[in-house]
Amino acid sequence: MSEKEKLLVPAPGVCVPWEVKMEEFGTFPGNEEIAKKEWEKLDDFAYNYIWFWAQR
Amino acid sequence: MNEQEMLYQKKLERYTIAMDCGKPDVVPVMFGIGEWAGRYTGNTLQEIYYDLEKSNSIVNEMLPGLDFDVFKGGPTLWWPPMFDAMGSKLYKFPGIGVEENSTFQFNEQEYMKVEDYDEFTASPTEWLATHYLPRISSELANPGSYRATVALIKGAAAFAISGGVMGAAWGKWTVEHGVVGQTTGFTKAPFDTLGDALRGMKGILLDLRRRPEKVLGACDSITPHNVNCGLAGAGADRRFPCFAPLHRGAYPFLNPQQWDTFYWPSLKATIEGLWAQGKRMLFYAEGDWTPYLEKIAELPDKSIIFQIDTTDAKKAKEILGGRFCLQGGVPTTLLTYGTPEKVKEHVKRVIDELAGDGGFILDSGGVVMGDAKKENVFAMLEAAREYGVY
Repeated sequence: MSEKEKLLVPAPGVCVPWEVKMEEFGTFPGNEEIAKKEWEKLDDFAYNYIWFWAQR
Repeated sequence: MNEQEMLYQKKLERYTIAMDCGKPDVVPVMFGIGEWAGRYTGNTLQEIYYDLEKSNSIVNEMLPGLDFDVFKGGPTLWWPPMFDAMGSKLYKFPGIGVEENSTFQFNEQEYMKVEDYDEFTASPTEWLATHYLPRISSELANPGSYRATVALIKGAAAFAISGGVMGAAWGKWTVEHGVVGQTTGFTKAPFDTLGDALRGMKGILLDLRRRPEKVLGACDSITPHNVNCGLAGAGADRRFPCFAPLHRGAYPFLNPQQWDTFYWPSLKATIEGLWAQGKRMLFYAEGDWTPYLEKIAELPDKSIIFQIDTTDAKKAKEILGGRFCLQGGVPTTLLTYGTPEKVKEHVKRVIDELAGDGGFILDSGGVVMGDAKKENVFAMLEAAREYGVY
């Protein structure tokens, strides 16, 4: 686990914020919003999956 | 608009008016096809739990003959194959761990240790993913291994698959039968999130005396996540309440001082956080909440639907009535041990006591158990329609 990952404190509804992923992409020549929207959908799915196990 | 769409709109209007404390044309009736229905189909509970299509087909067959307004869902709460894929230790399901016609059992343990409090409180989602999931899942015992990686893939796929199957089933019930669903979103009291699956009953009760500040810190940390869970996603539905089964807050799990200090503040904050975004909570108050009614009355008007299980119904009406919709009133024990005549008498009495000014939905007090008698459940529906006319 990198130091950057250790510092990550996901907000409600988030596992890995798009901003973190964007930084890792470096340059992003295309339309960021298209990628961001789908990233956040899957990220929300993962968040709900993780919390599902604790909310029973 | 076809016949089923008109039926849907009529039922939705009844539900909405009652949730807003108004008086619809009739007393809305809430209904679910629980485990009890399985006994009348010739299937084992294991078959119903494991085969989602079979479970949904039972609902498909029963819906045309039933007259109610709001649907709580079919016979099973969970799809065990997802739990099997992860090697989950949380439950024993029919056919695996318990006999094929036994209901599920929760296997309560201290999955979160005392020494985990600080790390959990600092970053709950990360802690759940990296510590909790491996502890509750035998397949994840060695994170990063072949078995663990495959299990995560299968578990997440099962989560998506079961969600898709159930979404399609609800769509079919709505289109073909005009069914209105009870809730969207699922959440809990932060104290219950901590005390149910993480620390367990023994752990949380010891923590109240030995490390109370850790409990409060963890509840504060959970609260924004529980608001998010109840909302069911940004831009999601706000017409229906989120479901919140409430456990340790029932009297007398905690004494009043403990309830005031540890249970209520974060639950209240969760409800207020949801309501600020237009989302109501179905305050599923299983057990007796009579001593806490005055505190609950501090909530914003209409922000909850209060479920009456064994709470004193008259006091609930007196203290909460008019400002919060009340729901329930029919004891689940009556549906198991009573007779159709007794059930009908009780439904009449409940409607007389609670429904007069509107803001009431007739329902079983809690989850109807697998040993409930079909004739009693049906008698509840018949009596609700007979006596629930304004």
